[in-house]
Amino acid sequence: MTDRRENLILVAPGLLLLAVAFFWPIGQMLMLAFEGPDGPTLDHFRRFLGDEFYLTVLWRTVRLSLLITLICLLIGFPLAYIMARVGPRARLWLIIMLILPLMTSVVVRTFGWMVVLSRSGLIPSTLRDMGLVGRSYAIMHSELAIVIGMVQVLLPFMALSILGVLLRLDIRLEEAARTMGCSFLSSMRSVVLPLSAPGILAGSLLVFTLSASSFVTPNLLGGPRVQVLAASIYRQVTQTLDWNFAAAQAVILFAGVALVLIPYIMLMRRPAHG
Amino acid sequence: MVSAIPLPLRIAAWVFVAFCALLLIGPLIVVVGVSLSESRFIAFPPDGLSLRWYAQVLSSDAYLAAGWLSLQLAVLVTVSATILGGAAAIAIHRRRLPASEAMATYFLSPLVLPTIIYALGMLMLWSAFVGPVSLLTLWIAHSVIAVPYVVRTTLAVLADSDPFLEEAAATMGAGRVQRLWLVLLPQCLPGLAAGAFFAFNLSFDEAVVSLFLRRPGLTTLPVHIYNQLEFSPDPAVAAVSTIMIGLTVFLILVIDRLVGVQKVASN
Amino acid sequence: MADLSLQDIRKSFGAVEVLRGISLEIPAGSFVSLLGASGCGKTTLLRIVAGLESVSTGKVMIGGRDVTSLPPEQRDIAMMFQSYALLPHLNVAENVRFPLRMRRIGNPSEQRERVMEALETVQLAHLADRRPRQLSGGQQQRVALARAIVSRPTALLLDEPLSNLDARLREDMQVELIEMHKRLGLTTLFVTHDQEEALSLSDQIVLLNAGTIEQQGAPADIYSAPTSAFASSFLGSSNLIPAIAADGKLQLEDGQSLPLPAGDYPSGPVTVALRQEDASLLPDGAEVPSGWVSLNGRVGTRVYLGARNRYIVHLGEERLRVLTNAGIQLEAGTSARLALDPSRLRVLPRDKS
Repeated sequence: MTDRRENLILVAPGLLLLAVAFFWPIGQMLMLAFEGPDGPTLDHFRRFLGDEFYLTVLWRTVRLSLLITLICLLIGFPLAYIMARVGPRARLWLIIMLILPLMTSVVVRTFGWMVVLSRSGLIPSTLRDMGLVGRSYAIMHSELAIVIGMVQVLLPFMALSILGVLLRLDIRLEEAARTMGCSFLSSMRSVVLPLSAPGILAGSLLVFTLSASSFVTPNLLGGPRVQVLAASIYRQVTQTLDWNFAAAQAVILFAGVALVLIPYIMLMRRPAHG
Repeated sequence: MVSAIPLPLRIAAWVFVAFCALLLIGPLIVVVGVSLSESRFIAFPPDGLSLRWYAQVLSSDAYLAAGWLSLQLAVLVTVSATILGGAAAIAIHRRRLPASEAMATYFLSPLVLPTIIYALGMLMLWSAFVGPVSLLTLWIAHSVIAVPYVVRTTLAVLADSDPFLEEAAATMGAGRVQRLWLVLLPQCLPGLAAGAFFAFNLSFDEAVVSLFLRRPGLTTLPVHIYNQLEFSPDPAVAAVSTIMIGLTVFLILVIDRLVGVQKVASN
Repeated sequence: MADLSLQDIRKSFGAVEVLRGISLEIPAGSFVSLLGASGCGKTTLLRIVAGLESVSTGKVMIGGRDVTSLPPEQRDIAMMFQSYALLPHLNVAENVRFPLRMRRIGNPSEQRERVMEALETVQLAHLADRRPRQLSGGQQQRVALARAIVSRPTALLLDEPLSNLDARLREDMQVELIEMHKRLGLTTLFVTHDQEEALSLSDQIVLLNAGTIEQQGAPADIYSAPTSAFASSFLGSSNLIPAIAADGKLQLEDGQSLPLPAGDYPSGPVTVALRQEDASLLPDGAEVPSGWVSLNGRVGTRVYLGARNRYIVHLGEERLRVLTNAGIQLEAGTSARLALDPSRLRVLPRDKS
């Protein structure tokens, strides 16, 4: 028994599990996306890209994901900065505040929003009382509801990603900028923002990927008329049972995610070689 | 340098933090509130206070069956993910394997892929080669998703450990199994335990994969909740959800004890 | 107790040959230091004896037994690591007991006795229940030592165990090591880059240079009779002066000359080694002691060392370092006379280095 053999024995079961139960299913799915009655075909993709309904779904998914990412960034960056500058005790509480929603089940979180955003929910009725909206106003079953719900879910990813980078940022750099005449906001712009770019980028990619591939929250908050790509896949599988089509959509989703991730991964590798 | 930040900005900062807190925790509080409602209508703030929905949930066959399934599943997944993931982490950490870097990436890859794509693939593969889905399917699928978490937390703990301990143990006469059991395992125990709790939480709360790999009779608790939400939400759902929130809070506290939430957050 | 024997040990890491044929016979009960600069291979050699590295070729014999292909746990050794490597999840007593458990030495109550005995030897019996992280660096180091001796190994291996300690603690530990060795008489292999440490602790010094043994012998022998410029400069601080040996004289580059000491020297270029403490600076008017010679030079910088001064003295192009008592105060730039006893000169072959 050598070191190498011992370690191979340790790693083999996990290796096997992922090979058989992770990589193989993905391969199977890829195969199904291109499968036709007479051999490999692009029909399913053509069907998707040729149907206006599905193109709307795709566009909506991209649009909403970008919007969600932007909002998470606008809220997440200041939040992360505040968390980086407060004392360790306060920071711990803020981290817990972020992690708690992260670790609760997605159905539980979404339920909370369903209550608050429905016609009789707290927010619409408050807005109604203030005379800002009409009588039957509800946020539920709309793109706005999806955005709100997803921002809550994904904000922690953005904030924690940026927090990680900010914590490693030397506060003396900001102090130096201040002694050189920068105001607080301009030191933010010229020192903090550029140096936290890696965290911002990582967080944005993560949030975009996760929001583009979410279906529980958008399904529940958006309803059948406001579908996103992932929700469409789910419906194909459970209702129309058109698995090939669902697989094709999944590949499109996968391709979209990869398109966004791969340049990022390559960007991240560069410093190691440079 | 706190005093160098202008006061109005500081006040704005705390207002902002309060807003974030509301955004993040608000929905959870709403759920808890609804669960205590007297009436069967879902409203927040709740009209009347009562624990009747908890009583109903705890005596409902459907909820109990779903809860029991989720619990069994979570325990199974915790065991399998911890053993497989822990062993892999130890092997990767030792760097005596070819391409340890690639190995680490391999084991962390399920984290990168959107879960829905994986769920679809798993459903298709299982149906094509095995047949109808079962507890086994869920066990395997949840394990696949949970293993990366265990690997990550265990590797993090091992990274901080003394690299010479195993050699020292060898010079003291400890053989392979003894080194693994008496030296390495105690070293990564906090990471393993944290990973185990992550795995449990992940499996118990998991909705996406479970929604794809389901069948009448194979309904986990989150799936059951989802069904209720789609068709007939009532405060009973809120009661179950509150119980799940409580479980999550408990697990977070345990994980903080073991590894420290700070460390986890920075991963 | 028996010997430790290394036969033509060679070790390469990839294309780099770190050990180029080391052969060593270490008699039972002796304390041998492997001395050398970083990269000379001394730690690699120790790890090979421990079984933590394999040999490319060669044989390792411990106690008359060929252990070359055996893993560490099957060799009768104990090792003390530079970073102590105490098991953090066990307390001090359990750490010290670990080798006894692993090597199945004695029953539990005998083991407990030996643990206590070992801890008393290092004066840490009162901390037996503490965890390593609750101890200071010096205390951890003593626990590591107790753990290394508790099993009375045939070969005790120490990998620069004192280099993480501050100067005072290091001196104390050196004394403890000497006393421990006297009492237990374990065959010990000690790796260090510190020549003073090697000189004070060892029965034998093995000086390594780039993977080979440069010189080997008792401390006093190596110190007073180094056989190469490398050995000379590694032990003690010598001045190395280029000269030409011809006609019974040593011709220096600035024209001055020294008498060639008795002995068999080839003529031609040589290196003359002179220790800092073997030369003195004569104040004006002082007589050259009989039998001694003097050279003319110019005073350079003075380095104040407390009890003594170190002067840089320029002899032509050469800069020599000379130790004097604090009393001698000379002005920089003035001329000085360097007095030395010719029998203290060592004439060495001119190194290619």
